[in-house]
Amino acid sequence: MEILLVIIIGLLHAGGLYMLLRRSMFKMIIGLILLGNGANLLIFLLGRLVKGHPPVIEDGMKVFADIYADPVPQALVLTAIVIGFGLQSFAIILIKRVYNVLHTDDLDELNSTDEEI
Amino acid sequence: MIVLPIIFQFVAGTILLFFWQKTTLQKFLSILFSIIGLGISIWLFLLVWENGIMITQSGDWKAPFGISFVADTFGVTMVLLSSISGLAVSIFSAGSMRKERLEFGFFPILHFLIMGLQGAFLTGDIFNLYVWFEVVIISSFVLLTLGGKKQQLEGALKYVSLNLLASSLFLIGIGFIYGLTGSLNMADVAIKLDNLQNRGLVSVTSGIFLVAFGIKSAIFPMYFWLPASYHTPPPAVSAIFAGLLTKLGIYAMLRTFTLMFGGDEFMGDIMVILAALTIFSGGLGALLQQNMGKIFGYLIVCHIGFLIAGLGMYTELAIMGTVFYLIHDIIVKTNLFMVSGLILKINGTQDIRELGGMYKNFPIISLLLAIPLFSLVGIPPLSGFWAKIFLIQAGLQTQDYVLIGFIVLGSFLTLWVIARLWSEVFWKNGIDLPKKANGLYFSQMTKTDQWLMVFPIVLLSGISLYIGFGAENIIILSQRISTELMDPSGYIEAVLGLKTMTP
Amino acid sequence: MLIAVILGFIFAILVPFFSKFVKKAIPFGYSLLPLSLFIFFLQFLGEIKSKGHILFHYQWVPSLGIDLSFRLDGLSLLFALMITGIGALVFIYTTYYLKGHKYLDRFYGYLSMFMASMLGVVLSDNLMSMFIFWELTSISSYFLIGFNNEDPASRKSALTALSITGFGGLVMLSGIILLQAVGGSYSFTELLNSSEIIKNSTTYGWIIALFFVGAFTKSAQFPFHFWLPGAMKAPTPVSTYLHSATMVKAGIYLLARFTPLLGDTFWWNSTLITVGAVTMVFAAIHSVLRVDLKSILAYSTISALGILVFLIGIGSEKALLAAGIFILAHALYKAALFLITGIIDHETGSRDVTKLAGLQQVMMPVAVAGFIAALSSAGVPLLLGFISKEVMYEATLQFGDWAIILTALAVLTKILLLVAGFWAGIKPFTGTLPAEFGKAKLPSPLLWIPPFLLGVLSLGFGTFPSLITESLIQPVFSSISGSDTIIQLKLWHGFNLVLVLSILTLVSGGALYWFLKPSNDLFQKTVRFEAISPQNIIEGGGKLFGSFAGIWTRFFQNGYLRNYVITILAFLTLLMAYRLFGEVNIYIDWNQISAVSHYEIIVVVLMIISILFAISTNSRSVSIVALGVVGFANCLFFLFYSAPDLAMTQFSIDTLTVLLFMLVLVKLPKNKQYSSKGIKMRDALLSLLFGTLIAILTLEVFEEPSSSEVSKYFAENAYILAKGRNVVNIILVDYRGFDTMIETVVLVIAAVGVYSLMKLNLNPSKKDL
Repeated sequence: MEILLVIIIGLLHAGGLYMLLRRSMFKMIIGLILLGNGANLLIFLLGRLVKGHPPVIEDGMKVFADIYADPVPQALVLTAIVIGFGLQSFAIILIKRVYNVLHTDDLDELNSTDEEI
Repeated sequence: MIVLPIIFQFVAGTILLFFWQKTTLQKFLSILFSIIGLGISIWLFLLVWENGIMITQSGDWKAPFGISFVADTFGVTMVLLSSISGLAVSIFSAGSMRKERLEFGFFPILHFLIMGLQGAFLTGDIFNLYVWFEVVIISSFVLLTLGGKKQQLEGALKYVSLNLLASSLFLIGIGFIYGLTGSLNMADVAIKLDNLQNRGLVSVTSGIFLVAFGIKSAIFPMYFWLPASYHTPPPAVSAIFAGLLTKLGIYAMLRTFTLMFGGDEFMGDIMVILAALTIFSGGLGALLQQNMGKIFGYLIVCHIGFLIAGLGMYTELAIMGTVFYLIHDIIVKTNLFMVSGLILKINGTQDIRELGGMYKNFPIISLLLAIPLFSLVGIPPLSGFWAKIFLIQAGLQTQDYVLIGFIVLGSFLTLWVIARLWSEVFWKNGIDLPKKANGLYFSQMTKTDQWLMVFPIVLLSGISLYIGFGAENIIILSQRISTELMDPSGYIEAVLGLKTMTP
Repeated sequence: MLIAVILGFIFAILVPFFSKFVKKAIPFGYSLLPLSLFIFFLQFLGEIKSKGHILFHYQWVPSLGIDLSFRLDGLSLLFALMITGIGALVFIYTTYYLKGHKYLDRFYGYLSMFMASMLGVVLSDNLMSMFIFWELTSISSYFLIGFNNEDPASRKSALTALSITGFGGLVMLSGIILLQAVGGSYSFTELLNSSEIIKNSTTYGWIIALFFVGAFTKSAQFPFHFWLPGAMKAPTPVSTYLHSATMVKAGIYLLARFTPLLGDTFWWNSTLITVGAVTMVFAAIHSVLRVDLKSILAYSTISALGILVFLIGIGSEKALLAAGIFILAHALYKAALFLITGIIDHETGSRDVTKLAGLQQVMMPVAVAGFIAALSSAGVPLLLGFISKEVMYEATLQFGDWAIILTALAVLTKILLLVAGFWAGIKPFTGTLPAEFGKAKLPSPLLWIPPFLLGVLSLGFGTFPSLITESLIQPVFSSISGSDTIIQLKLWHGFNLVLVLSILTLVSGGALYWFLKPSNDLFQKTVRFEAISPQNIIEGGGKLFGSFAGIWTRFFQNGYLRNYVITILAFLTLLMAYRLFGEVNIYIDWNQISAVSHYEIIVVVLMIISILFAISTNSRSVSIVALGVVGFANCLFFLFYSAPDLAMTQFSIDTLTVLLFMLVLVKLPKNKQYSSKGIKMRDALLSLLFGTLIAILTLEVFEEPSSSEVSKYFAENAYILAKGRNVVNIILVDYRGFDTMIETVVLVIAAVGVYSLMKLNLNPSKKDL
């Protein structure tokens, strides 16, 4: 299973990068979100996979009786997801604004700040 | 206790949020908070200077389980510098920023930004560092786009996308670190990475960090977002960006590459090459620009090269040079963009072909502005000069002769660029431009606002002069930082509580 | 001594504050500064004569070994006296020359800053502090050349001068640091003891090469000489002071100073002789091709500097002695000539030597000063110039196999310089006064006394060399050569070869002056060689470098975001690939891999399909939906592998993102196909490579044994210490509560940002302050 997940992670990164390299602003955002998903999955995987044992201590127990999934990556990913959401929604709105002001989706037309050497 | 500056900025930002749209009050409060914040930073600095490394474990969970906050000399120095820059920018914006921007949360975000920076300087936890980074970049996104002008948006698009990319890479790097060590506390990670057999994996991971932080700190070939965006927001915003944002990347790089990936020779060599190319690209870029903001933007890139050079050579002397240069650079770059802001306010343009006559019309201000400009060049004995001695000495020791050549070239290009700027902006007779821009010109501003713009420049120029003439003290400071960085055992022991530190 | 040096700086800072007072009360008050310093330094004559040298120590930056130590010996005393003495005259002269000028106070400010820096250069014992002062002279020179800042030519010359000298300075800095690395100290006095070690070290060649660049740029040696004629844009007092008498001699000072330390080796001598000889002949020829008085003097100054380098290069005792005398002789007569040129310019408004004539009728004292200076320059007996020339010929004649060539070059230079000197000092005063200058009159004594005084000194020292032999020249000689030989200066050496050469010089020079009339035609004939002149080559090189900078910058900073991304990630991919395949042993341990169940395969396939959809579709809605599916599939993974909280979060966030996308972006126009097939292939290839590398790396990290110390602690103590059963939640709110708190801040800031992005729209058409 881990192999499959690794392939997915690779694919998410490849797809994300590919989309980042497109000229459309819209695709760029898709790319960034894919990359973010990939990174989250990567952290999750590196916490090692455990099936069906959420890190929740059962009622009446003080410690885990059985094996349990590593809770740390879960906490990290949770934080990362939320933060990522904040950044992504800002980026989405930014794109909207850029479109409203400049009336184009083509990133190649947005190079006036690099011009006039 | 160590988190006091962070908490304070948090409170400051939150209070300011509640006074949404009350701009006059916000101006006053922001300056007041910045002064108090500076006081706290000085206090913390002195405390650490006296007692050595100090640790706060958040929630009292002992390391490596909770999040440790570590105040070592490097951290508190950076906190102090960020407070100084923050204060200067706060005053400057109070004088120069357009009301519309102030009404949309400029000051609260400014304080959150400072909070993020100080958090990043003080945290001892790699994931926590990531979170602080995110605070900083989201704040910088907001500040950068505040106003929503065409140029700003275009610049912001590049800035945002490349920075998000960097964050993503940073996250991947953290994932690998956790996968390898099962820990996030940097001191703990350092020990565990050190014991790891598979050096190759550590090295690749460090490569990911190099690129993630490299994008943030704008080194070659990852600096592109900087010249594209730094000249687009109001100068007060550029000032805080120029002074502190790229330096945060440098800080993170210095921290991780001394503590966690210490002495990876391959990466060191890569850094030396990148440093040379960064100096080169920045210098060449600055050579031909006509817009003052862009010139300064490229100069930031150029001087980032000096900073990386020291880290790449990785000797105590070299790190000392980097740290000294860092201290100088934060102050002078913040100042520089305020200078450009002042010139913009006076003349209504930043295009050096149109500018001129400053020297004739504002002789005293001109002489004042000469201080940061020539400090930047490193005219001895001003502040930019001293670090170069260390870097060249270190280069001789490590036999990086080509790098020395690039350092000399970079210094020369800076000299030329600034001399040309001086001759165009200050000496040349200006063109009388029609005063058509939005907002008030300097001559139309109230006396108070004029002073609010000039005073921070005086303040930072004074500090620059102190760094130059009191170099001895700064050298002692850099030396201590460099020793602490090069031998992280003190840091690690203090964080993990292996031994109580006595200075 | 420290006060003596930094007095000028203090003075420069204070000038703006008391300028009004001085203007009214004591117009020549500024001159008191150099004058008092001159007297101060005069006192040391006796002490230096008896002791050799005196050291003064002031601490500054001990951890770098940099201090403000000053070493006063013959050489530095000579320079200090020249700096303050000629400085005093120039200060006085300026009072009248720039009378009523709007920025007179600034001028004095820069001038005293320069004086202090120059004193610092010659007095510093510590090489690093010497360098600091050295750079300060370059900067003050920049400000002084650009003093008429509204004139574009002035600004350009100032920039050229600063570029050349600044570049040389930086190169020299590397030399100083290298020297310190070899010799172990920045202190010149201490370095003297390890002279042999330095000369035998492998880096000796580098050290002198770096020092030479510094000295040659500063002292305007070929091929860096061209900034000096340009610097003549500065007001004449500046040309006199900086660009003839003192600053340009800093390079000479440096070479002289280092002769005992680094000198007397093959490379040292041969380089200096070659460069010096080329410069002196080249510039001497140029000087007689000009018609502008200041240009003539500029080139003759370059030539004189060449002679000095040449003499130091020869390096014999006689040669060093000649250099020592010539420094003084040249300063005296050339400063006088410059000042006189300034007077002529001031009174007639012309510096064209072809037009000027007969001025002695109206300004006799100036004419006398001019005559004396010109004669001293020519080396006529009874003037100091004569003695220096005699000793110089003696030195060249003693130079073994090459004696004839060197002597011939020296004689040639001297003949040409004689003509140049006569043009500047005699030609304007003889003949009949043209009508156009009829209004010229004798200026204020403040203007003509300084050159007159210099003439008197030339004559006095020349006639009675004993005045300075023991008190000044002997210590100078000792400090340059490091030897104890007692020197003697005589007017009459007997009838020998030297005298013949002297007479030859005078006669042929006089003849040349008689036959060769200055004219623009001469210069015009050389114009076609301009294409290969050093100035053209270096400036052309600069331009080329500029174009290269443009190409480089446009190449990298091309404005296309996708190019930026591709550069960055290509770099990362290369770096990773290199390290991964070079250093990591790639293997898969199947024991660690868990089994796959059917529903998992379904999810995986679903995910792969939706990823492919998301990137390949051209419809916005489809790709948003596909993105949503990717997110939900992610959710399922979290759910399968014991992370219900994550699944929840991912689910809600994913829904929110998709909704936001739909609401905000769907209204944009249709996606267009922008890229060509080739570019898509390239991007796809790089992306796949990047993805593969990340995948391999993940797998390898996964294969490493992991340490679970931290998570174990959390699990064991979650309930006991933190009173919670859901460990993930406990981590979020307690162990790592800080993260969560800041996370909220991020969301708040993002909200503020979104709000202001939507609401705040400043008028985009206008410039914004």
